[in-house]
Amino acid sequence: MDEDQTEEETAFVVDEVSKIIKESVEATIGANAYQHSRVNQWTTSVVEQCLSQLSKLGKPFKYIVTCIIMQKNGAGLQTASTCFWDNSTDGSCAVRWENKSMYCIVSVFGLAI
Amino acid sequence: MTTMEEYHSGSESSFHSEEADNIVKECIEGVVGNDDYSQSLVNKWTAGIVERCLTQLVKQGKPYKYIVTCAVMQKTGAGLHTANSCYWDTTMDGSSTVRWENRTMYCVVSVFAVAIA
Repeated sequence: MDEDQTEEETAFVVDEVSKIIKESVEATIGANAYQHSRVNQWTTSVVEQCLSQLSKLGKPFKYIVTCIIMQKNGAGLQTASTCFWDNSTDGSCAVRWENKSMYCIVSVFGLAI
Repeated sequence: MTTMEEYHSGSESSFHSEEADNIVKECIEGVVGNDDYSQSLVNKWTAGIVERCLTQLVKQGKPYKYIVTCAVMQKTGAGLHTANSCYWDTTMDGSSTVRWENRTMYCVVSVFAVAIA
């Protein structure tokens, strides 16, 4: 029983991370329309909020959080990522969010220490 | 003697972003070079760029885990902003971002290298 609990505490839980990302994005840009003058502040705020919530989880991980915000005007955007790591302990989670005027894509990568 | 050894191993185990920049630029040019943005090919391009970069980085044989991300965007006047933040060991880990463009598209590639203990 103890061993199971330890595994939960030290594994990368995608659902948990996904929830943290969604909350950070909603809190920062939830009701706003795309504004060139503020987008810099928004991306910084989204990644910082995610990172502080993730480190509060207290798990033995290093984290990398990336955020892309793009104005909706018909342009095509494609993103890809690939990782060279330990499949049994490391993990990633990506969340695509949008409102009427912009798209927001946040990725979190967690690498076990 | 001990001091020199310590200094030497310090520089071997930190991340060299200039080397990574060169690798990334070559990979982008190799995959996308002079092509125009194409909806049907962009999927293959992003996958090709990240895989090529990763292979070259791993060939260096350094004790790192790598994450490579790539975003390709059509030039139509839309605004694009990216940010990233990392919670890691600042003495050993590092990242590098390359912004590339041609007539019809932008390509942003980021490499994150995390030292293996």
